Amino acid sequence: MSRTDAVTRILFEAFSAAEVRLFYALGYAAIAVFFYGVYVQVRKYRRGAPLKLEGGLGRRVWSMFTSVFGGRTVDRRDPAAGGAHRLIFYGFLLLFAGTSTITLEYDILQPLFGIRFWYGRFYLIFSLVLDVAGVALIGGLLYMMYRRGWMRLPKLDYARPDRVPGDPDFNRPQYRREDWAFLWILLIIGFTGYVLEAARLVWLADRADVWDTRWWSPVGAALAHGMMAMGLGEHGAGLLRHGLWWFHGMIALILIALIPRTKVKHIFTAAASLLVRDPLAAQRLPRIPDTQEKPGVDKITDFTWKQLLNLDSCTKCGRCHEACPARAVGAPLSPRDVILSLREFANATLESTTLPAAAELSVHGKAPGQVAMETLWACRTCMACVEICPVAVEHVPIIVQMRRKLVEDGAMDPLLTKTLQTIHKTGNSFGESKRKRGSWTKPLPFKIKDARKEPVEVLWFVGDYASFDPRNQKVSQTFATLLHEAGVDFGILYDGESNAGNDVRRVGEEGLYEVLANANVAALASAKFKTIVTTDPHSYNTIRNEYPDFGGKYQIQHYTSFVKQLFESGKLKVTTPLKLRATFHDPCHLGRFNKGYEPPRDVLKLLGCELVEMGRNRSNSFCCGAGGGRIWIPDPVGSEKPAQNRIKEAAAIPGIEVYVVSCPKDLTMFEDALKTTGNEGKFVVKELIELIREAIPAAQTPEAC
Amino acid sequence: MKILVAVKQVAALDEDFEIGSDGRDVDPDFLIRDLNEWDDFSLEEAVKIKEASGDPVEVIAVSVGPEEVDESLRKCLAKGADRALRVWDEAVRGSDPIAIARILAAVAKRETPDMLFAGVQSSDQSFASTGIATAGLLGWPHGAVVANLRYAPGAKTAVFRRELEGGLLHEVEIQVPAVLTIQAGINTPRYASLRSIKQAAAKPIEVLGLSDLAVDAATVGEAGSLSRVRRMYIPEKGRAQLIEGSPAEQAARLAAIIREFKGEAA
Repeated sequence: MSRTDAVTRILFEAFSAAEVRLFYALGYAAIAVFFYGVYVQVRKYRRGAPLKLEGGLGRRVWSMFTSVFGGRTVDRRDPAAGGAHRLIFYGFLLLFAGTSTITLEYDILQPLFGIRFWYGRFYLIFSLVLDVAGVALIGGLLYMMYRRGWMRLPKLDYARPDRVPGDPDFNRPQYRREDWAFLWILLIIGFTGYVLEAARLVWLADRADVWDTRWWSPVGAALAHGMMAMGLGEHGAGLLRHGLWWFHGMIALILIALIPRTKVKHIFTAAASLLVRDPLAAQRLPRIPDTQEKPGVDKITDFTWKQLLNLDSCTKCGRCHEACPARAVGAPLSPRDVILSLREFANATLESTTLPAAAELSVHGKAPGQVAMETLWACRTCMACVEICPVAVEHVPIIVQMRRKLVEDGAMDPLLTKTLQTIHKTGNSFGESKRKRGSWTKPLPFKIKDARKEPVEVLWFVGDYASFDPRNQKVSQTFATLLHEAGVDFGILYDGESNAGNDVRRVGEEGLYEVLANANVAALASAKFKTIVTTDPHSYNTIRNEYPDFGGKYQIQHYTSFVKQLFESGKLKVTTPLKLRATFHDPCHLGRFNKGYEPPRDVLKLLGCELVEMGRNRSNSFCCGAGGGRIWIPDPVGSEKPAQNRIKEAAAIPGIEVYVVSCPKDLTMFEDALKTTGNEGKFVVKELIELIREAIPAAQTPEAC
Repeated sequence: MKILVAVKQVAALDEDFEIGSDGRDVDPDFLIRDLNEWDDFSLEEAVKIKEASGDPVEVIAVSVGPEEVDESLRKCLAKGADRALRVWDEAVRGSDPIAIARILAAVAKRETPDMLFAGVQSSDQSFASTGIATAGLLGWPHGAVVANLRYAPGAKTAVFRRELEGGLLHEVEIQVPAVLTIQAGINTPRYASLRSIKQAAAKPIEVLGLSDLAVDAATVGEAGSLSRVRRMYIPEKGRAQLIEGSPAEQAARLAAIIREFKGEAA
């Protein structure tokens, strides 16, 4: 054996045979507890409803690996935490890999096949890598402790907006204790690892194979020199090493045993959640299978196994809590707490050997673990939570599935009940006669083609608000005039069009949605067109992402990208550049839902506007509050509305002249909020279509428009 | 225990409607059909009694009308009615409320319910007499415009409250079986989701003819009715005009208008 071959990891040196046996016994016990915990967790998920995943495994695995190893999702909106997480992640991963490879060699390869690799240069390089990994781990942990202890981040406050102080689950101090225990346990493991290494070096300082290679473990070596300087001798170091060895080992084994029952489990559940992630989770809600008797989720076991897994992935990072518009205005909803409540409920009911009686499984109500109806109805389904969640928790379908049950029971605001009945009766939320859907076209000096009667290039799906709301009718007339002037061959469905159903579906009235979707798919089938353009982001989303499930597959664009093409092809030309200082509000269903961030901005710039972004833009755009059917439910009097919160954000931009929207509901919501926040006269809210008109003054503007 | 709930499918006017060629009704093309608003409340009251009762209670919705009425009956089934009956015969067309009551009374004799509920009135024709007439034909006691009801199925009496003018309340005890006409607002009718309506389509709606009920065709329809709609029309609109200006100007203008009306030259 050459000299370098002798250099290897000191394992059980100076341990009695009994001690080694004890260690192995404890090790196996820890692993057994771990696996039993895994079994209990898997049994819990399997008690959920079945779900067949769509899409290729290859793409899923790739996207999971890039998210987990790149840390991309953890970086978002909190790069410092992302960086610290990366240090902990890689530090832990390398150290764990180091220990595992020792086991691999010592317990498997060497005894069975006589294979050894854990010596010489390989060992030395590895020990250097592990020493650096330990620094990364401890550095990351210290930052996280600083963050939890001193930064006082609101998103890390577990006080719930849907509970009041004094409720048993108001701020859940047990979570705080768990967070700190997790950090401390890892820190102690890392720190004792170094001290142990240093003690070993001091203890074996006489042995050349150990001492001469000490600087391959720089931190351990430096500590060893420090210990020697403080007078630690061989004997004392030996004792210290022996004691710490057990301490370090036991804490590590306890951590392993506890993984499935503590937040540590996220290293598995988060990866699994990312693996089964649905990229269209909020955009395309699930249909109710024909075999399902009652719609939606009543019992915890009505959630799919994937949703139960989602609950277990949450690390309480608070990104959704921070992004939620309902939470921001003090509504009794935090997406984080919906997930945590349901998780507490699932753990209490589904981890036991026998499943409790059905009556004890209802997730609706006000008891700890249950979700109150007020919480579910506060949701705007704006997707801010789903979009930002680093571990692919899909809150929106969870909330909508629970709403489906509420709708079935009629447990909703009376005004919403009325609106749903109205939509059923008339096909629109305004309660107007079906015949009047095309009435807004009457003042136009030209006739818009009826796409059911003659073929058109472009079918314009107008939507409820743009058809019936007087303020939005003016915008519709302007858009029609612009298309007419640009020579676009277009038509509409007139009374053949119904409410597209996007919001009805998000309310949870799936039966009515089916009626609306089928009616529109049938109406579209009776028309001849090449492509659909819509001025309504809500209709855009459901036609694009959800109608395919109802047999309606179309080419569809939001008007912003269509208009951009008209400019690029020269069919529209800016004649009067606007020179306005403008900010743009991304509609949820255009931006977050369908990634249409850039076309409206490009058009604004083409018009000559100076675009100043609000702090919350693009994927972090702040919902106007109208989504998920909330436009039909009155907001509580006296509290701030999301639209007001948003207008205040815009008002803080110095010299802002125009607040640009590209969604009919936004126009209604923000013009109202402009008045109620006292900002009227300071700046204006305008549809992008109106600005386009201003930049291209018509030769002859029709009187009525 | 049985509660019979008489319901009606009413018509609501669409925008820009037209009167039919016979001049006695709106052209059916311009009508939107729906369950009568009051019947939503009377059905809900029956279903609430059923749900609160320890003993089994059967709620039966009954309507007189052609096949399209099934849509409203399905809504009743979705909201909790156990059975639905529809009575129809072409001879029924043109019936006045009393003739309809004859049919409902025959249904009540067949079903022998403990209670018969009807809405106070229908929103389209507002006769407010069908329920009361049925009580008369059956010889049962009746309570009209019931705004609150205490009734346990099987009890010999029920107590209800009626709202009178001046904020007064009438509390009445009534012998069962009885006919009650239910006022809107007595409860909060539940929402029938589209899915539950679809599922209710699986429940059968029993269709009865006049012979099934031993009702003589001569006692219903136009022949059996003692009243008849002569015509339906929109009265000519009056004109109103605000006269502006100083008192003298207003007086001069008024005088001119009066002269114009009298046919004098201005």
